[in-house]
Amino acid sequence: MIPHPALQADDFTPELSTDSLEQLSRPSLSYWQDAWIRLKKNTRAIISLYLIIGLALFTILGPFLWTKDPSAQDLDQISQAPALPKTALLVSDYLPWTPPVDQGHPAEPTGYPDTLDAVTGFAIVGTPNTQSIRLTWSPVQDAGGYSIYRSESEPSGLQGLGLPLETIDAGNILGFEDRLNLKSQTYFYSIIPTDGLDEFDVVTTLKVTPVQSITMSQALERGLIDPSDAPGRSVSLAFHPFGTDYLGRDMLARLMQGARVSLFIGVVAPFIYVLFGVFYGGFAGYLGGKIDQFLMRFADFVVALPFLLFMILFKIGFGIGPGESGILPMLVALILLLWPSTARLVRGQVLKIREQGYIEAARLLGGRPSYLIARHIIPNTMGVILVTLTFAVPSAIFTEAFLSFIGMGVAPPTPSWGSMCNEGVKTMLSHPHELFFPALFISITVLAFNLLGDGLTEALDSKMRSRE
Amino acid sequence: MIETKNLKKHFHIGRNQTLHAVDGISLSIAENEILGLVGESGSGKSTFGKTLIGLHERTAGEVFFKGSPLPQKYTAKDHLRYSADIQMIFQDPYASLNPRMTVLDIIGEGLALKGIPRADIQDEVGFWLRRVGLHPDHMSRFPHEFSGGQRQRIGIARAMIIKPKFVVCDEPISALDVSVQAQVVNLLEDLKDSLGLTLLFIAHDLSMVRYISDRMAVMYLGTLVESGPSDAVFFEPKHPYTRLLIQSNPEADPVLERTRPSAELTGEITSPINMGPGCRFADRCPEVMPQCQSVTPESRLIASDHQVACHLYDER
Amino acid sequence: MGTHKLLEVSNLSVEFETYGGVVKAVRGVDFSVDAGEVLAIVGESGCGKSVTVQSIMGIIPMPPGKITGGSAKLKGEEILGLQAQAANQFRGKEIGMIFQDPMTSLNPTMTIGAQIAETLKVHRGLSTQQASEIASELLIRTRIPEAQKRLNQYPFEFSGGMLQRAMIAQSLACSPSLLIADEPTTALDVTIQAQILDLLKELQSRDGMAIILITHDLAVVARTAQNVCVMYAGQIVEQGSVDDIFYKSAHPYTLGLKLAMPSNVSQQNKKLEPIPGSPPDLFSPPSGCGYAARCPHAMRICHKENPPLFSDPREPLHAARCWLQAPGAPKTQGLYQPNLIASHGA
Repeated sequence: MIPHPALQADDFTPELSTDSLEQLSRPSLSYWQDAWIRLKKNTRAIISLYLIIGLALFTILGPFLWTKDPSAQDLDQISQAPALPKTALLVSDYLPWTPPVDQGHPAEPTGYPDTLDAVTGFAIVGTPNTQSIRLTWSPVQDAGGYSIYRSESEPSGLQGLGLPLETIDAGNILGFEDRLNLKSQTYFYSIIPTDGLDEFDVVTTLKVTPVQSITMSQALERGLIDPSDAPGRSVSLAFHPFGTDYLGRDMLARLMQGARVSLFIGVVAPFIYVLFGVFYGGFAGYLGGKIDQFLMRFADFVVALPFLLFMILFKIGFGIGPGESGILPMLVALILLLWPSTARLVRGQVLKIREQGYIEAARLLGGRPSYLIARHIIPNTMGVILVTLTFAVPSAIFTEAFLSFIGMGVAPPTPSWGSMCNEGVKTMLSHPHELFFPALFISITVLAFNLLGDGLTEALDSKMRSRE
Repeated sequence: MIETKNLKKHFHIGRNQTLHAVDGISLSIAENEILGLVGESGSGKSTFGKTLIGLHERTAGEVFFKGSPLPQKYTAKDHLRYSADIQMIFQDPYASLNPRMTVLDIIGEGLALKGIPRADIQDEVGFWLRRVGLHPDHMSRFPHEFSGGQRQRIGIARAMIIKPKFVVCDEPISALDVSVQAQVVNLLEDLKDSLGLTLLFIAHDLSMVRYISDRMAVMYLGTLVESGPSDAVFFEPKHPYTRLLIQSNPEADPVLERTRPSAELTGEITSPINMGPGCRFADRCPEVMPQCQSVTPESRLIASDHQVACHLYDER
Repeated sequence: MGTHKLLEVSNLSVEFETYGGVVKAVRGVDFSVDAGEVLAIVGESGCGKSVTVQSIMGIIPMPPGKITGGSAKLKGEEILGLQAQAANQFRGKEIGMIFQDPMTSLNPTMTIGAQIAETLKVHRGLSTQQASEIASELLIRTRIPEAQKRLNQYPFEFSGGMLQRAMIAQSLACSPSLLIADEPTTALDVTIQAQILDLLKELQSRDGMAIILITHDLAVVARTAQNVCVMYAGQIVEQGSVDDIFYKSAHPYTLGLKLAMPSNVSQQNKKLEPIPGSPPDLFSPPSGCGYAARCPHAMRICHKENPPLFSDPREPLHAARCWLQAPGAPKTQGLYQPNLIASHGA
């Protein structure tokens, strides 16, 4: 016998338990409350939820806060990487410039010199800007002309002088204005004296970095200045936090508009086809028998239809020509072709639930089929439906992106993330930001929905903890 | 009160395969009586119960309730009409309550379907919760918060609240622990006495069935092999299968168990698929005779109210 | 019977970490099994009987499960908490196990013969040919008709009872000295159950195999067991020979179980007395006796302290965990109280 503490006489007084024996130990939680608690514990899912909420705000409220027109082209900032706001020099509208001519110098050389001196005094006139760069130099004895070259990298000797800009065939013209495709970057100008025909082997190089400029009328047009402003001061150019695309359109604004298109299709289409799938599958599952067989065979048939082919057919059917935006046919195609998987899923659930005792009990109490479906079956399939929806959305977004990428979806200028990726691929190596941002947004959205769907599955499908 | 004549329920499974789940059962249950129905798997006892009350469509035969015939195939309206007469208590306490509904909604569903106003339903549900031994406050809770025994009591309340006269109890205690089974059985007895119910008690626990039932019926592969007063069937079984069942039924008494002869049975229980004529038990029966394979035995009265379907009792 | 008990379990404690908290499923369980003995562990759902044997066999996934104490010695050697490699030495070889639902315990994609042969090849290193022969012998030994044919059949072609026999055959493959049967007949019909129980008894008497039988059915215990442990809320509340348990019940729970079951012995129909309430929540087991909340004879001490196992020195094998067995406790109707008798000389 195991030793035990000595017992007193009064330890033996009868004392029945006073607790109610029919107690319930855990607080009352409905199915959704329990699922929500479980979901909150899943960090990945909650982060995804916040991301999705953020995306929704971005899409809906964004355009009200960032009011740039997504179609407006900022030609001064084409393919601009994301950067802080740039400034530009305000210049008056272009007036032609007459390069200075030295009257005291002959236009033609008197003889045919063997050598010529290198050009001296090669200098810039005024402030070099992207509207025009004006250069001048001192005349060279016996020169009959000059050749001007421009390169973006420093030439070494007579090699790599770059682009031949101008051949001046008069020895007394001492200036040149460059307006060829000037950008705000460093250029190296080289000048070689000629005898009117041939170049001599002496070169003078000048490094020029023009500043970004904007003309008065352009600036006025873009609302960057008042009419009272005068040239010479710096003006802030439009700010493009995410840069611009190859046509100078603001990336952020386009991303927002693209979000609207992508998410519209990505959310509306699944909602509709999941809803349809629920009714279809619920109907088939509940009725069973031959009707069920027939309905499911038809669903199988729809699954077998080739998606892309039908997209094209719809596009033609809707009379949308190449280059026009095909949002409607894409929506229709998605809805008409993607419902079977939901239908099958819901049907499976319904079949499972149909056998449960509470359905029979409700039938016995006089419930009509519509009552049974609405009151008993559908609420118990809500979990499955919600999860299906959560996974259907990224699927639709990705499909839309893919279609737009290959040109079957929206057409320019309407942006969608997919079409933006399509355009971005072309400048992937030189201006990666044009591809990076739409791809990033697609990836984040799809990932967020998938993680949320995973979290929901776990939270909703866990068997309710029973007492036994 | 309830009478069936040659009730049959066949299921068609696959090509040319028919499951004769219930194959010609004729029995009657008197008012205020508890009839226990026992059988092993494949006997068709659950199917019988459900076919009796219209959850399955009858394949053949007739059912009479207080003399008037019941429909062969029930519409929702039929069920509604009879819900105050005939009800059922289901087997699995975990699957017979809708997990998304509160206890109030579950128990009150029958009344709601009859159009009784919500406030009245709430009162009734509170009353019945107390009646089955639960607290009225529990009506706002969900099924998963209750134990198996408590859930079964909720199911009983759901059936009783409409005040039926005849209740089929389909294995109501099989999924419960021993100590809880007694709670539910006592409750059923109590309700039967105070409400004057008639019960069909379907179970596979022979001892429990003998305890609670006035009369007992034994099914094997869709046919009724023996029926009579519980004690008579239990202590003086006439049909070889009944004898075998009783012999196999263990008793909580070691001395008794040691002195009992062990059951001698060979073979397995099959499924009643594509049954032909002849006694279903013929291939396992220790007392089989030539005619058992080919001629289906008829149910004969061998004592007042004790019937057997076996060639051993044919008139010679 | 040697000096070593075949299996000796002392102070076994097992916990589970669930997201609702820690469940103390087994709280200090001691029992032993002799060679050739049939021990029944009986209790209702949640009492910890399955967890006890599963942790001895090492088949509980260790998170979330955790063995927090105790030892289990097989023929004197510790087998509790062994890693998989070491556990495989005794699992299947020294101790065989069969489960409640044979359908889920057997591989549906392998023939029965192949599965039995697998055990033989792994544990005894036999060739395929030898293994098949022995497999066929085993099937015959478990009374499966047409054993040869059955070897090549798949589990779905067997009925429930036959599958259970097949599982028994597989567990016999290495001639274990101990067979653990976890609710082997709960899912079976009563006539099949009788056959299986008879088979188990035959294996015990003919081959001298010890059996631990887990069940919730007292009648099955009466039919099959020699010794019994009654478990409640993670503890053994009464243990002894089967006659002790049934005729000299020393714990109110055992009494309560008996009174809650219909008896057919006498033809009178005594009204069933259910045990009110449900087993306690093992997230925070009560500090006193686990049964006190439902016990009609509960005393003050019962709610304060968990009783130890009491036994009468003259019958050391029969013990009950109840304060009513302490000397000085009041006499209680229906309860066997040897200490009471001893101290009061009644």
